[in-house]
Amino acid sequence: MRPVPGRLTAVTVVAVAGALVAALTAPPDRLQGNLQRLMYVHVPAAWLAYLSFAITLGASAGWLWKRRASLDRLASASAEVGVFFTGLTIALGSIWGKPVWGVWWTWDPRLVTTAMMFFVYLGYLALRRATLDATVRARRSAVFGVLAFAQIPVVHMSVVWWRAVHQPPTVLKPAAPTIDEWMLAALLANVLAFTLVYVVLLRARIRLAVAEEAYDAAHDGAAGELAGQAITTPDYRKEFPNHV
Amino acid sequence: MTPPGPARQALELARKDLLLEGRAGEALLVTAPFGGVALLLFPLAIGTDVPLLRSVGYGIYWVVVLLFGVLVSLRQSATDTPAQAALLRLTGVHPAVRLTGRAAANTLLLLAFQLILLPVTVMIYDPPLDSWPWLLAVLPLVAAGLAVLGTLAGALAQGFAGRATLGPLLVIPLALPLLLSATQVAEAVRYGRQPWSWLALLLLVDVVAALAVALSARSLEEYS
Repeated sequence: MRPVPGRLTAVTVVAVAGALVAALTAPPDRLQGNLQRLMYVHVPAAWLAYLSFAITLGASAGWLWKRRASLDRLASASAEVGVFFTGLTIALGSIWGKPVWGVWWTWDPRLVTTAMMFFVYLGYLALRRATLDATVRARRSAVFGVLAFAQIPVVHMSVVWWRAVHQPPTVLKPAAPTIDEWMLAALLANVLAFTLVYVVLLRARIRLAVAEEAYDAAHDGAAGELAGQAITTPDYRKEFPNHV
Repeated sequence: MTPPGPARQALELARKDLLLEGRAGEALLVTAPFGGVALLLFPLAIGTDVPLLRSVGYGIYWVVVLLFGVLVSLRQSATDTPAQAALLRLTGVHPAVRLTGRAAANTLLLLAFQLILLPVTVMIYDPPLDSWPWLLAVLPLVAAGLAVLGTLAGALAQGFAGRATLGPLLVIPLALPLLLSATQVAEAVRYGRQPWSWLALLLLVDVVAALAVALSARSLEEYS
């Protein structure tokens, strides 16, 4: 473990600090006031969920093609980080929704499809945990990692395809963004900072996976303590020495 | 002797699965009555308000079909031992053909499962029956989609101790469009609209799921 943070971590810390300042100094929303500032975390978290799962898709497809362990590690680490950011998106949206919509949760297509995306990737992680053999785990999760991505376009387009309470895309849409310039700048600064956080988390998770694999390899086949090892079968000759 | 073609192989494998299910009776003699019990429990939990039950009955039917239908797809008799899988591989059966056979058997069983639960739903909930002609298309399309997704989950969770719990977690979120389409068909008919777009969505899900099975079959086969 390095005692001094690396360059990437330092840059990330600076970027997060800058993004925080931008989020706090951007003008408040005319109707929502300061509540709208939650969007500077909610939107980047949602963007990172998409990015994470897109990288899981790419790495899974890459594993099926090249069969490299590094691609499996990348797919798995990215899915884990993506699940975290999806959970964060849902939680922040809910916190914002209570004062603005009056409810913690509503049956809006965007909310439901996002929750489904969360559960699909929880299933992906459960599938990985259930498989002990590394190659079988990589193969099955690669297949599922490719399939699971089918949800992402549905989540993104849900606000366009169905009548929804959730607002339609403000930035990622065919027409020009419908947002104040300062707000847009603060949002983009936060997206950049959160993307760096994602890269740092991803790198840390991949390193942890490498360390876990090295540990498993070092202990593979070593005489570990087995369950029930303290119990031995009775020695028949010792118990009954006179028995013929 | 000419070896049978892929379609014949898939049919024979489906027949084998149905024969095994006929002996075990897991889907239709255990899971279907369990689904019936679930249909009976909902009114006790949400209240025996007849107009309310009439309006939610159709949706509850599809929720029960989805949740319990996955159990039909992941039944114990729909698993291959390593020896059975090896035998099929040695006889030259393509993995996609194997999964197609299983999906075909699952589709028939799910259709039977739906047909058993439908009169129970009508009896308990008395839902409006104005959309019944559309059910002739909806029932087989939902059965096929759920069967293919269930087959895929079964292949992904093959050999796991927690197969019966992991499988539904993998299938249910992906099967959401099936539930939406099936319920929205009745809703559209109730409001005098044509439900073609929902039927098209059902068909699209079925086709995408079938393509996913066909494309991933070889990758999933290698493990055993």
